[in-house]
Amino acid sequence: MSAFYDHFSRHAHGEGLKAHSTHYCPGCGHGVAHCDLADAIDELGIQDRTVLISPVGCSVFAYYYFDVGNSQAAHGRAPAVALGHKLAHPEAVVICYQGDGDLASIGLAETISIAQMGLPITVIFINNAIYGMTGGQLAPTSLMGQNTTTSPGGRNATMGQPLKMAELIAQLDGPVYVERVALFDTRERVKARKAIKKAITNQLEGRGYSFIEIIAECPTHLKMTPQEAVEWVKTKMEPVFPLGVKKDLTVEPWFKRDAPVFEPEAVLGLSGAEPRREEEVRPAPTWPAHLPARDVAIKLAGSGGDGAQTAALLLTRAAIAEGYDATAIPSYGPESRGGTSYADVHIAEFEVLDPAAPEPHALIAFNAPSLAKFAATVPEGGLILYDSTVITAPGDLPENRRIIPVPFTGIAVDLGRAMVKNVVALGALQAALNLLPEGSVLATLHHVLKDKPALLPLNEAAFAAGHQAVMAAQVPV
Amino acid sequence: MSAPVRPKPFLEPMYCKGCLRCIDACPRDCITPGTEINPATGLVPVRLHLENCNGCTLCIQACPEPYGLRLETEPPGFEGDFVLEDPAKLFGEKCVPIHSEGDLPDNHIALPACEAMVLKGNYAAAIGALLAGCRHFFGYPITPSTEGAELMAKILPRLNGSFVQAVSEVAAVNMMYGTGGAGLPCMTFTSSPGFSLMLEGISYMIGAEVPGVFVNIMRAGPGLGNIAPEQSDIKLACRGLGHGNTRAIVLAPSTPQEMLDLTREAFALAFRYRNPVVILGDGFLGQMTGKVRLPATMIRPGLPAWAVWGDRAHRHNLINSIALAETDLEAHNHHLNRKYAAISACEQRVDCYRCADAEVLVIACNTPARMAKGAVEAARAQGVKAGLFRPITLWPFPIDTLAEILPGVHRIVVVEAGPGQLEDELRLALSHAGIAPPPIDYVRRCGGFLPPQAEILAGILAPEEVPA
Repeated sequence: MSAFYDHFSRHAHGEGLKAHSTHYCPGCGHGVAHCDLADAIDELGIQDRTVLISPVGCSVFAYYYFDVGNSQAAHGRAPAVALGHKLAHPEAVVICYQGDGDLASIGLAETISIAQMGLPITVIFINNAIYGMTGGQLAPTSLMGQNTTTSPGGRNATMGQPLKMAELIAQLDGPVYVERVALFDTRERVKARKAIKKAITNQLEGRGYSFIEIIAECPTHLKMTPQEAVEWVKTKMEPVFPLGVKKDLTVEPWFKRDAPVFEPEAVLGLSGAEPRREEEVRPAPTWPAHLPARDVAIKLAGSGGDGAQTAALLLTRAAIAEGYDATAIPSYGPESRGGTSYADVHIAEFEVLDPAAPEPHALIAFNAPSLAKFAATVPEGGLILYDSTVITAPGDLPENRRIIPVPFTGIAVDLGRAMVKNVVALGALQAALNLLPEGSVLATLHHVLKDKPALLPLNEAAFAAGHQAVMAAQVPV
Repeated sequence: MSAPVRPKPFLEPMYCKGCLRCIDACPRDCITPGTEINPATGLVPVRLHLENCNGCTLCIQACPEPYGLRLETEPPGFEGDFVLEDPAKLFGEKCVPIHSEGDLPDNHIALPACEAMVLKGNYAAAIGALLAGCRHFFGYPITPSTEGAELMAKILPRLNGSFVQAVSEVAAVNMMYGTGGAGLPCMTFTSSPGFSLMLEGISYMIGAEVPGVFVNIMRAGPGLGNIAPEQSDIKLACRGLGHGNTRAIVLAPSTPQEMLDLTREAFALAFRYRNPVVILGDGFLGQMTGKVRLPATMIRPGLPAWAVWGDRAHRHNLINSIALAETDLEAHNHHLNRKYAAISACEQRVDCYRCADAEVLVIACNTPARMAKGAVEAARAQGVKAGLFRPITLWPFPIDTLAEILPGVHRIVVVEAGPGQLEDELRLALSHAGIAPPPIDYVRRCGGFLPPQAEILAGILAPEEVPA
């Protein structure tokens, strides 16, 4: 009896009778199930480790009675709360106690998904075929023809057939043990106690998820005496919800979690942080006088796979390494998964303010739709670089812009890999815009490819070739 | 040799509800229905006739009441001289609550100096959470927040943490209720439609005083809207965190650096106040890559005394949000109100740029605050004394600082990527503070557009030309 509080101080502040009496109606199955669960907790010696999740429904107040760690969940969400507790403290014994409205109606998504995850928690499901707390409405498990306040003519087919949760849960791959038990006579009560104990033991031993459905009596809302309700469960419910083991896998203990890691080296390493380099401090570069503002916007546009996003990030990294402020924003919509893909880069002497580039000072266009879409957004005096391998008919382009066709793809293919066309484009941009110091993007390339040194010569060659192509075109900066 | 005498059942009549389950259970017909109404309960308890009882206990197993039929050896202190009206004497002393030994404090661990990182805002927020000691993530993928979840999925398992992609945002927030209720830092990344789904759970977390951090990378609505940036959930975060009397600190970063810093700080605030904390970023902030410096320390979280942890020290604890008695619930609301008042007094945060002599005060947060800063500089270049008031906490709104600035301000221009939710917060804060503000104009875009610097400048310079 020790898994119950000596004094139900949470039940109406433990005053008078309430200190030792439950809130359940005479003959309610919840009370029997509570006693069975309390005995199991006691016999297994797990009272200190137990966390009981109370649901919404008549058993919302289970925490009044069980002298264990208690958490009361929102309607239907008890398995989610249980999972949160189990993952927080895997040594805790987490027991999820739910009624039929909670588990089989509003909480179906949580019930099924968390059962399928298979983590070792124990779910006790009280199925009494009716809503108790709200006052006798149709439950997902109400029987066909059953009169309730929301099925006044009896449950019919359009309201759905009663949901057989034990069978449904047993169909899933996650659970290791599923049994339906009853409380209507001594024999079944003995089985119920055994099942509850086994379901908890499975958790204790780390074997997996267990689910016990208990068909139970609700005399009040069945409008019966307690004894009539017992008889009704035995003769009417049991044929619809056949008792017995629905699933019982032999599974070796597997659930074990090591303590979370808080080593700085591990956290920083996984986050991609690098120790501060002891390099000589380079003098801060001088913002190029030929550029119009102290914040330059560059748009890189192409189709998915052109490498516009990668090039944008390289440029951003290079600028930040030089001590400038820089930002990159990708187009992140569905179109970035295969359609057009563009990125807006800002490089500012001190601080990037507007990170978008509706009117970029420079445009790099990898394909014709990008050129057509964005060329007109480049203001007068701006720069347009485009891939003349791909865009053979650039159409009408705005005047008073520096327009430089460079065969990004052709150069990259000549070097052996079309995918470096974005680095060709960065070389071309370096030559045409001369924003960052010479060698800045290359230094960043060295850094990001430090684990793939084999790729470095190709990328260096691509950058140089793009640079060369613009210089050869002799377009004045 | 006779069999050992086993203890027999014992029944205190006032704890019998007369359901008669025990009668069928008894194989020796030792129990009969009662005939007298118990004056204490109005119910009719059964009667025991134990002459034939062999102590099989089957009746006890049938009894639904914990203190109904029990063995006569219970309780240990029972000696037969009890006074029936005194349950404490009958059942022993009222249980002594097992209090925990106090909070196990957080441990701050020094970090080595690191290079500045170049990070997308979503990644920065995730790293901020890791450095705050968060090892539990529950979420559901939704653009434009997903990279945060993806980075957590990659890193957390290697730190023996937990990443769970839940069946829905509804499940995710309730997993947070579980882990937060167990006293550990946990978080989610989401975006506007997902945040809507989490609101019910946030109400429960606030009611039950469960900490947790929500990073909401807002996108344009209503409905499915689109995935472009909008400041669409200021109303939800500041005014609409589910049902009931709910408040949470709402932090509004405007750079990838603040995505890290404020997310990290959010965990401390969540545990300081035992309350969820919301980070509101816009789609651009989630997606924007920029320079991010790491802090000097990281945190190994302790365990608060109130946690439902699953051990002896925390056994008496309860996480719940239900209080059936009106007096209890009103008292709980008073408690929450005191907490909200403390937050309002202590946690207002704001960044003021050239506000000291500002005559036109631009109020903006998140990415639009960046454009607004450019517009303020441009206006200053034209001789207009403009300033930028950038709330970092949207709730509590930094009204105290605003009140100091306002006497010199001729006009306020609220800049928003959204339909006016920031302006609503401003007007409510002014009204509650009893401040009569100067004229309030606005520059707004929505649907996924951010207000460009040129439009903001126009709004600063020429109020009559503010676009509707």
